[in-house]
Amino acid sequence: MQNLLSLIIFLPISAVVLMGLFQVSLKVLRVISLATSVLVFLLVSYLGLNFDPLQSMQFVEVLPWIESYGINYFVGVDAISYILLFLVSLFIPMLFVFIWDEDRKGFFYNLLLLQTGVMGTLLSLDLILFYLFWEMMLLPIFIMIGAYGYGLRQANAMKIIMMTVLGSMTMLFSILYLGYLFFEDNGFWSFSLFGLSSMSFSSDISIILAAGFLLAFSIKIPLVGFHTWMAPAYSSAPTPALVILSAIMAKLGIYGLWRFGFTLFEGPLSYYAPLTITLSIVGILFYAIHAIMEKDLKRMFAFSSASHLSLITLGLFSINIYSWSGSLYLVATHAISSAGIFLLIGMIGKRIKSIKISDLGGIATVAPKFAFFFAFFALSIAGIPGTGGFVAELLIIMGAFKYSFWVGVFAATTMISAILFIFWMLQRTIYGKVSQKVADGFYELSRVELLLLLPLMLLLVLTGIFPSFFISFFEPTLGMMLFQIGDIS
Amino acid sequence: MNPDNFLYLSIILFAIGLIGIISRKNLFVIYMSIELMLSSVNLVLATFSRVHSEHDGAVIALLMIAVIAAEAAIFLALIVYLYKNTKTIDSEAFTQLSHKRGAK
Amino acid sequence: MSTLLLLVVFLPFLSALVLGLTYLFDTHKRVNEKFYTILGVAVPILVTILSFVIVLDLMSHSSTTVVTAVAFNWLSIDSFHIDLAFVADPLSAVMISFITFIGTLIHIYAAAYMSSDQGFGKFFSYFNLFLGSMLLLVLASNPIIMFIGWELVGLVSYLLIGFYNKEYENVTAANKAFIVNRVGDFGFIIGLGILFVAMGDNGFTFADIKENIYAIDNHTLTLVGIFLFIGAMGKSAQIPLYVWLPDAMAGPTPVSALIHAATMVTAGVYMVARFSFLYNEIPQVGEFIAIIGVSSALFAAIIASYQSDIKKILAYSTMSQLGYMFVAVGLGAYSAGIFHVFTHAFFKALLFMGAGAVIIALHHEQNIFKMGSLKKALPLVYITMFIATLAISGIPPFAGFFSKDAILNHAFMSEHYTIWVLGVITAFLTAFYMFRMLFIVFVADMKNNHIEHKALSKALTYPLIVLAIGATFAGFLGANEAYGGSDLFKSFISLNDINYSISHSTEYMLGFVNVLVSLLGVTLAYKYFRTSPQEPLPNKRVRTLIINKFYVDELYDRLFVQNLRSLSNFFNKTVDEKLIDGFINNVVHLNLYVASKFTSLQNGKIQHYSIYLLSGVSMMSLLLIYILEVR
Repeated sequence: MQNLLSLIIFLPISAVVLMGLFQVSLKVLRVISLATSVLVFLLVSYLGLNFDPLQSMQFVEVLPWIESYGINYFVGVDAISYILLFLVSLFIPMLFVFIWDEDRKGFFYNLLLLQTGVMGTLLSLDLILFYLFWEMMLLPIFIMIGAYGYGLRQANAMKIIMMTVLGSMTMLFSILYLGYLFFEDNGFWSFSLFGLSSMSFSSDISIILAAGFLLAFSIKIPLVGFHTWMAPAYSSAPTPALVILSAIMAKLGIYGLWRFGFTLFEGPLSYYAPLTITLSIVGILFYAIHAIMEKDLKRMFAFSSASHLSLITLGLFSINIYSWSGSLYLVATHAISSAGIFLLIGMIGKRIKSIKISDLGGIATVAPKFAFFFAFFALSIAGIPGTGGFVAELLIIMGAFKYSFWVGVFAATTMISAILFIFWMLQRTIYGKVSQKVADGFYELSRVELLLLLPLMLLLVLTGIFPSFFISFFEPTLGMMLFQIGDIS
Repeated sequence: MNPDNFLYLSIILFAIGLIGIISRKNLFVIYMSIELMLSSVNLVLATFSRVHSEHDGAVIALLMIAVIAAEAAIFLALIVYLYKNTKTIDSEAFTQLSHKRGAK
Repeated sequence: MSTLLLLVVFLPFLSALVLGLTYLFDTHKRVNEKFYTILGVAVPILVTILSFVIVLDLMSHSSTTVVTAVAFNWLSIDSFHIDLAFVADPLSAVMISFITFIGTLIHIYAAAYMSSDQGFGKFFSYFNLFLGSMLLLVLASNPIIMFIGWELVGLVSYLLIGFYNKEYENVTAANKAFIVNRVGDFGFIIGLGILFVAMGDNGFTFADIKENIYAIDNHTLTLVGIFLFIGAMGKSAQIPLYVWLPDAMAGPTPVSALIHAATMVTAGVYMVARFSFLYNEIPQVGEFIAIIGVSSALFAAIIASYQSDIKKILAYSTMSQLGYMFVAVGLGAYSAGIFHVFTHAFFKALLFMGAGAVIIALHHEQNIFKMGSLKKALPLVYITMFIATLAISGIPPFAGFFSKDAILNHAFMSEHYTIWVLGVITAFLTAFYMFRMLFIVFVADMKNNHIEHKALSKALTYPLIVLAIGATFAGFLGANEAYGGSDLFKSFISLNDINYSISHSTEYMLGFVNVLVSLLGVTLAYKYFRTSPQEPLPNKRVRTLIINKFYVDELYDRLFVQNLRSLSNFFNKTVDEKLIDGFINNVVHLNLYVASKFTSLQNGKIQHYSIYLLSGVSMMSLLLIYILEVR
């Protein structure tokens, strides 16, 4: 399989083009979309079986694209991107199953487009190519929120686009200027990640260029201060967009920092480390406290996500093997947890047409299985032992202590921060007296829904019980990266 | 002859033209003022051409005279056309480009 | 032997899983209660037998022998290796033997107590899960695995306190328990983090830490000790993190007996004993622990004297006894502390189960002032409870006397006289409030006679008898020379105690003081509550204060809960909407404003345009001439 990665990237978009050309009916659309995404999942799994954890970049493909500017079609996969790749390819078919009854065709098209965008972002190693996919990802999200969302959907869709594009612009500037610097040094153009990372340039310039990247990724994550797009966008987003937003897109900010930030700008990023770590610490607590009084489940878990992403960022900037392993592990496990919780919130929305906490109550009495899964995923976000989140948080905290005592102490606040809102939320939603709306329209999980949630739950439990198995998959890669950064602790 | 005198003359002509443009509302007068300003520029060009004893300035001045002639044809045609449509040649009447659309 | 050890931990987890899945997917309630009972009770029995085998095996060897078992490598990063491994040394072996033993009895009791409850299966699933987690905590070979067990018991405790989750208040109590526990865990993990950094690449099992403890400087150790103890404060309900324990009584009574009396709450004491090598290095922290312990003991005893809910009285008495244990481990008498854990487990479980039997018999009445003269109706419960009350009050020869005596003697001999005096006062109060409860419930006249008693099943009463035997005789295991024993317990668990030699006469003198104050307490209780007790009314200022538990709950609510909620609102309404979004909106508005000013320049008048033109050109010319000096 020579062109496995290209196949993975372009299969969904070619399905979109073909189905669009032939104007297929809704039934065919559903089947083909699901089939395509399942095929992609199989390909990704096949890729995983042939993946060698001890090597860094694998399955590399290079094709000349715009030769005069040295822009290549350059893709490859390593352990960091593979984890996210696997999760995306797992979530997309699940989302197709989830929206099976949907009669708006756009959902299917947009999800497939989104898949290509995300996969491309994850796999591209050429900066221009990366930028292209990075922007391409936004479009389906914009359409899904703007056209199929709830509430002030258009305004909220505008908000997310404006803020992320602002970040993208600064990143584009940095990319182009990097390419230009390379041209000045070598006399020919290149935008390849490895070409650019071999370059040495003055620290003043690199600090400014790093800021361009950092801004783009901080908005995506979002760090405190860049977050006002988040809650409105989450609350307007339909479930598929929501799952992708929280489980994948936010993590792409982290991924970007890892792949491009730390490869290109290891020096400047340690210059920014105090700032980002401070923002992360503020974020962990700020978002968690923010979530307490939220009245709507989507907004609450939006803030919960942001709180955990702040923790991940903290781990990322603590720069040692423990915090990095923890961060990457949390990226994966939190993606699974939040996919689960947002699917469940979507199911609540399907049942009673409301996700307001005040409309809920006593779900455990009406639908015990549903309540069990809901509590499980909510608690897995809080990092109870036995789920992967616990291991990840533990590692991040240990790594943070390696970095400095106070950072460690603040990282440890995550032990308290998540439970501040989750338990009160559980009390008002699944426990207590059965509310009117729940009594009227709530029903137990169907078989299909159960089938959607079980694999996620299984993954969370396995990651919690056998972390060494999963961590050995990516630890060598992280070790190598740290070795290159030259700060292995 | 002192070139300064020519320059003074051109400044005076330019100023007259400018004031004409700003203060008068009749399109014809504005047009004539523009012509006056162009002439003053021509005069400056010719003068400096003479001072530096190069021909570039004079050539451009000649070129401009030709262009001004062509412009005169178009300008006059435009004014006549405007008068036909609106029965006025008051410049205040043509404010379609204002930010307040349609304001007179 | 190591396979047995693995089974001890994994069997309860396995059965919890099976029970839980069966319950969850048995939507039509086809599965009989019998299935849950058999599986749910059989596993604890099996585990008890296994742990007794392990203890006997350890006893037959020298004191340094330990049984170890490695399940698999749990985490391995760089030089940081954490195995899911278990160690049964004398300390943990003693712990698991009584945890499983008492756990089994409570399981049997619970089978009767919870019968015909809707969530019967769920209850046994949680109960087995708890047993597994507790064993994981105790047997862990390294602090990380211990921390997992530590967290899990907190979680199961949350689930069980909120077991009757249709009542909003119960869930509030459960939340409180979990959140306060997590605050403690926050401290615990900070301690682990510092320790982890200090240990470097030397491994992270208890054995490794013990070996390398001398390489770590005293300052770091102090920090580690304090933060780990904060974890213990949360789990073992000590000041200031005790507030959850009284509320935790919202759970079913077997839960209170198992989790909130006999096992989970003693995890903090166990942890300190487990780290005894560490705490020996930092006696100043030990003193701090002892002070916290004795103040909790006294504080809880004072509150307990004015409570009228039978379970709350027992909850505060648990907190008070835990305070004694911390005095012991804080002052370096680790084996005395663990011994008190051991004896306390018997009589406190017994008290709770007896209270549960009373509550069941009276159709869920918990106010002691609505009970009375139950002596005749429930003779067996009365006798067993009487034994337990004697034991907790420290009347010889019952179990509590020996363990409490050992602790107080140690406090006296280590010249911590204030702690000793406070401990003795607490002993007096303990005897007073325990007998107060006993007299009111069983002896005094009942005011409303119309309560019909429900018959108690054998499964409810037989465990009481077994525990009563334990509460009577368990103390002899640890009786020291002065009382004709041979310190069996202490020499078996062989911890790094700080020892003081003590003459027999001093020993008898101190023992006499203890018994005297206890008897004083009993007499006082007899005098006031023997015949017609009155429920204390909040009619005096001091009494109001005590009945309302010194308003600590209200204080915490005001201080933390309300402030957090208003902070959250502040973030939402002010920071996000006004500050950050406000900033962005203001930038937009500024743009619009400036734009509107500029558009008014564009009025369509050609003359105005030409002026702009002229001024622009002139300015550019001036710029060229004077600033850029183009001549």
